[in-house]
Amino acid sequence: MTQADRSQPDDSPLVRIRGLTTVLNGKTIFDALDMDIPRGRVTAIMGPSGTGKTTLLKHITGQMRADAGEILVGGRNVAGLSRDQLYKLREGIGYLFQNSALLTDFDVFENVAFPLRQHTRLPEELIRNLVLLKLQAVGLRGAARLMPNELSGGMARRVALARAIVFDPGLILYDEPFVGLDPVALNQVLKLIRTLNQTLGITSVLVAHELEAVKQVADHVFLIANGKVVAQGSPEAIAADGSPWTRQFFGGAADGPVPFQYPAGDYAQALGFPGVTK
Amino acid sequence: MSQPRSSYAVGTGLFIVLGFAALAYLATRTSSVANVRQGDSYTIDAQFTNIGQLKERAPVKIAGVRVGQVQSITLQPGHDVADVKLSIDKNYAAIPQDSVATIFTSGLLGDQYVGIQYGSAEQTVAEGGTLARTRSTQPLEEMLGKFFGAGGVVDNVGGSYTVKARFGNVGSLSAGSPVKMAGVVIGSVQSVLADPVQLNADVVLSIDKRYNAIPDDSAAAVFTSGLIGSQYVAIQPGGSPDVLEDGDEMILTQSAMQLEDLIGKFLVSDSSGGNKSAGDGSK
Amino acid sequence: MTARKPQRRNMVGQVLAQIGSCGLFLLTLLAAVPRSMRHFRETTRQLWFVGAMSLTIIMTCGLFVGMVLMLQLYHVLSIFGGTSASGMVVALAVYRELGPVVTALLFAGRAGTSITAEIGLMRATDQIDAMEMMAVDPVAYVATPRFLAGLIAMPLLCCVFCAMAVFGGHLVGVTWLGIDNGTFWSNMTAVVDVRTDIVNGVLLKSLAFGAVVSLIAVFQGFTTPPTSEGVAYATTRTVVASSIAILALDFVLTAFLM
Repeated sequence: MTQADRSQPDDSPLVRIRGLTTVLNGKTIFDALDMDIPRGRVTAIMGPSGTGKTTLLKHITGQMRADAGEILVGGRNVAGLSRDQLYKLREGIGYLFQNSALLTDFDVFENVAFPLRQHTRLPEELIRNLVLLKLQAVGLRGAARLMPNELSGGMARRVALARAIVFDPGLILYDEPFVGLDPVALNQVLKLIRTLNQTLGITSVLVAHELEAVKQVADHVFLIANGKVVAQGSPEAIAADGSPWTRQFFGGAADGPVPFQYPAGDYAQALGFPGVTK
Repeated sequence: MSQPRSSYAVGTGLFIVLGFAALAYLATRTSSVANVRQGDSYTIDAQFTNIGQLKERAPVKIAGVRVGQVQSITLQPGHDVADVKLSIDKNYAAIPQDSVATIFTSGLLGDQYVGIQYGSAEQTVAEGGTLARTRSTQPLEEMLGKFFGAGGVVDNVGGSYTVKARFGNVGSLSAGSPVKMAGVVIGSVQSVLADPVQLNADVVLSIDKRYNAIPDDSAAAVFTSGLIGSQYVAIQPGGSPDVLEDGDEMILTQSAMQLEDLIGKFLVSDSSGGNKSAGDGSK
Repeated sequence: MTARKPQRRNMVGQVLAQIGSCGLFLLTLLAAVPRSMRHFRETTRQLWFVGAMSLTIIMTCGLFVGMVLMLQLYHVLSIFGGTSASGMVVALAVYRELGPVVTALLFAGRAGTSITAEIGLMRATDQIDAMEMMAVDPVAYVATPRFLAGLIAMPLLCCVFCAMAVFGGHLVGVTWLGIDNGTFWSNMTAVVDVRTDIVNGVLLKSLAFGAVVSLIAVFQGFTTPPTSEGVAYATTRTVVASSIAILALDFVLTAFLM
């Protein structure tokens, strides 16, 4: 995940997923999934709840092992990496958690400085400047001495973003970045995602539900359901797609390929009317 | 919790110092280490027939003042005496050789300790030396028995040999009564038993090994201290070139004088019951 | 009827599995010790929170234990006229048994639960995941410093407890009940031996207990389901498992050392 990965806006995908299969607790999460994440662009992954979108992100970072298939990040197979190599890989990936995951014992400044202190031996002066730089980029330089429990949800997420970009990574993974934000904070985060991608060319992968927000920022959208990619394309193309999945997901129908009723036995029998068949 | 890092280090350091201070306090003020003032000490031996409840690290006192402690208590295999090593502070290096080491009890039911009573010899006990004269613990029964019997005599346990003698009448002689030669105590009576076959008394005398030049034709007589005092065995040396060995029997014995006989001798001038017998040299 | 049997087997099996994974976790912790030397400041920080912050409760309880013990002993010993030995008995009882055990139980309740809750909360709020994402080994950064801190803090806390207990005993015995001061100390110093009582009793035992309590606390924090109710159960389990382990270990150590 070097400078070279970012600076050339070439078209080879940064993340290549082939035949990914994972079974968790007897449930098939992914079933021979294929996906290419284009370099230098903003990609959104959407789908019904529980389809394993967060799990997909964890596969990319190597936190979870797939049962079959391969995941290539920057040309290297994640599954084949040793512990140290995996840690090296992760230094080039920024990850934004759904609940920000700031370390509660440290203030904002220390939280953003944490990766620097852990992995580098930079002098204090330099660390200070870097941290303030990143905080300024997310608009929170003045909040450097606040504790995480004093921040609002949107502010916490921006601090987490500052922490994620402290090493100037080539890839950023956003896990539900818009959940629980008021429109103002949502727009702030949107702006940041767009800016990071446009000015620094960082490949961004978004896992989100909010179609309107995704439309504003994503270049490419994947719709995942039942462990497979059921639709992909630009946001406009996918919204106009006529397949039953897209119609339910983007058209707003309550029932469709994702059923309303949780699988259950016969209703009449459950109510005690024997012998009545459908 | 956004305190600067230095305060954690200081606070933690203070905590560690406090912990070690507490440990040092426990170790030096409340444990036996507190009793050791100067480390320098020398070791002497003493042997006891009965150590009672004496334990290692029990104090050794002179005139009630602690001068050292019991270092070890061992039983020599094959012997029935306890070998006690005493560790004495070097400041008290002038203990005469004939001092007596006694096992005392603190109070009535307390712990036991070794008390040393100075003797009068000019030579002092050196490192590794032995206190020959010891007095073992006094079990309650023996104490009461001694109250009615002869006075407590020192055991010359470390170096003594035994000699037999038969008497027609031992008077009030009992185990523990002194054995004297020329008026000086050289040992004690170990046992007094009646012989059912010979119909006289078998007495075993225990004599300090230092007095190992007693001719084997010496006589043993039962005398009385003063006019009506306790009785003891007096050894009157003979002239034989051979000396008494451990286990020998003294042939010439003189039984105790009975008061009635004495009075009779005064009143009537004929011998009525004077038991000057040349005891048979049989076993 | 048949449904109950598998449940009982399940519980025993569960407990055994827990003990086993706890033991394996110890190996992970120890393996991470060299790596955690990089996070030495974190260990110092934890030593403050786990050790120094427990001082209040330890000192207070130590004082009261000493006072109560002296009170009880005085009344019993005065029947035999042996009140001069009460200082010695307080010291021996505290150094050999009460000191390490009570300190360990208090430690489990105060520091053990806070460790478990903190780690459980960190897991529930994805902080542990975030650390993994930032390529920081969570065991080396979170678990091992807390384990080492507990290991170092326990003997120190135990010494403080014992010192306060002796002081409390002195306070009640000499100042209040009128035992002679000289007798109090001379009887105690005559019997208390540095090797068997202080090193074996206070230091060794408290070190062992500290290891056990810290291990259980860290293990429970790391292995609970990362939900709020999971954390609540985990803290309870920490106290229960620690208490049982402390007392069982106490018996084993006493049999071996004394």
